[in-house]
Parts: sequence; C-alpha cells; structure tokens
Amino acid sequence: MSTKTTVYLRNAKTGEFVEAFLIDGLARPDIEKAEADWKPFLSEQVKRMEASGIAKHLLPQHRHWDWREKYDATEGYLAYRMFGIECQAQMQGLLLVTTAAKNCRIASQAGKPLVYVHFLAAAPWNLPSITSEPRFSLTGTILLGTAIQLSIEEEFQGRIGLHSLPQADDWYKSSCGMTDLGPDPAAKGLRYFEMTPDQASKFLR
Amino acid sequence: MDAVTPSRKTMTLNLTEAEMKALDDLSVTKDISKTAVLRQALRLYQMVEARMARGEKLYFEHDATKQKAELMVL
Repeated sequence: MSTKTTVYLRNAKTGEFVEAFLIDGLARPDIEKAEADWKPFLSEQVKRMEASGIAKHLLPQHRHWDWREKYDATEGYLAYRMFGIECQAQMQGLLLVTTAAKNCRIASQAGKPLVYVHFLAAAPWNLPSITSEPRFSLTGTILLGTAIQLSIEEEFQGRIGLHSLPQADDWYKSSCGMTDLGPDPAAKGLRYFEMTPDQASKFLR
Repeated sequence: MDAVTPSRKTMTLNLTEAEMKALDDLSVTKDISKTAVLRQALRLYQMVEARMARGEKLYFEHDATKQKAELMVL
C-alpha cells in the first residue's frame, strides 16, 4: 500500500514552487512508467553528449541504473523502502534505502544504526549536468530529507550513510554537509559519506 | 517534513529473563528502544529466511583476514 504526502519542487525556469507528491511504497507500474519516461530522455542526452565529443567521465555515471531491477530485488522485504516524487504525472526522482544492518563508521557515532541510501536519482530532465533547461530543482534535497526523516522515525536520530558516485561527491559534501570518510575499497572505491544527528538537524532547518 | 512511517499496531511480548537482558543490552548499545531493536531483528530475519529458502548460505567474513565462516558454525 502506498501513501502520498504533498511536497514542493521548484520550477527551474520560473523559480516558482510546484505541488508534488512524495510516494512511499511504490508499485511496479510506477517504476515501469518512470523507467519508460526516463530511459529515452537519458539515452537521447547521452547520444548528444557523445556526439559533441564530451569526455567519458562527464557522462552521467548512473546511466546504467535499472530501477525495475532494484524494485524486483527488494520488493516485499521490510528492510528496504522505496520512495518517489511525482509531479505533473511524471516521476521526478526515486530513492531506495535500507533500514537494517547498517551501522555508523564515523567515530562519534560508531556502531549506531543508520539509514543507508542505496540509490538516489533525480529524473534525467532535472539534471543541469545533462540538460541546459532542467525542469525542477529540489528533488535530491527532498529525497535526502526523506531518508533523514525516516532515520529519525526509526530512532536513528537522523543518521544516514551512502556511497557516492564521483559526480555527486561535491553535492553530498558541500550542499548537504555530510562527512566524507574517503574511498571505500569494499565499494569499488566510491567515497563513503555519513551524516551525524547534528548534521541532519542542520540539513532539515 | 511530514512523517514517512506507516501506522503501527501493538502486541504484547513475553520474554525470558535472558532474552530480556539481551534485548536490554542491544537497546543500550544501539541507542534505540527495545521496540526498535525488535524491528531491526525482524527485518534481518525476514531477509535471511528468504535468501536461505532460495538455497543461499549466510557467511561472516573477517575484515582483515577475509576468512569466511558460516553462521552458527563454531
């Protein structure tokens, strides 16, 4: 069963706030529709970028993510939660988290449970890195805020952790205020970030 | 931001003294309530059961030595 909560995205062109819905408990048709909307747009942009001779490391690093696969692998498990933001009848962002068996590494919180963000993505048309006219902003902020809110409700006091793709490192560190714990050899060298209760509190302000 | 947790139901749980002590200890170590500890346990148990039902085994790997040991094998 899914629940919808009203949230507000920002129209990237006009700066106006637009009503959207945070959906908890997505169904497979929701994911299928999101993929059907996202994939052609993303493929087109990647082709355009490749044709313009852009360096490979600047192509969207999450372009291979398959949300249907992630849904099928986690559906029915209490440990996983998938959220989406819907606006104007399209999915504007998706989030997959786990709420079990992940502990903090940062010294002040070591061993305490956290919400681990497995995957967080904005719809490709919302990414300034691949389109000159993004439609909505705040998608990533709301989804990360959702992970923090869930952490608070789970009694984890806002603690969250994640491995970041290189293109998102700066956003998690500078914009979100997470602590960078460096490259993790166990996660293909991706940098591992954590948010403490204090950092979570600042993020939500 | 609004709450994202679905509504919850209540049950009474009867535990032995040893089970209650283990639950208390985990609650203190993890800095969460006993209810939250049991929620964590249920999520893990559900996942472990589902994977074992698919014919998979559960192992622990030592971080430094990379030595693997099957769960419950001494």
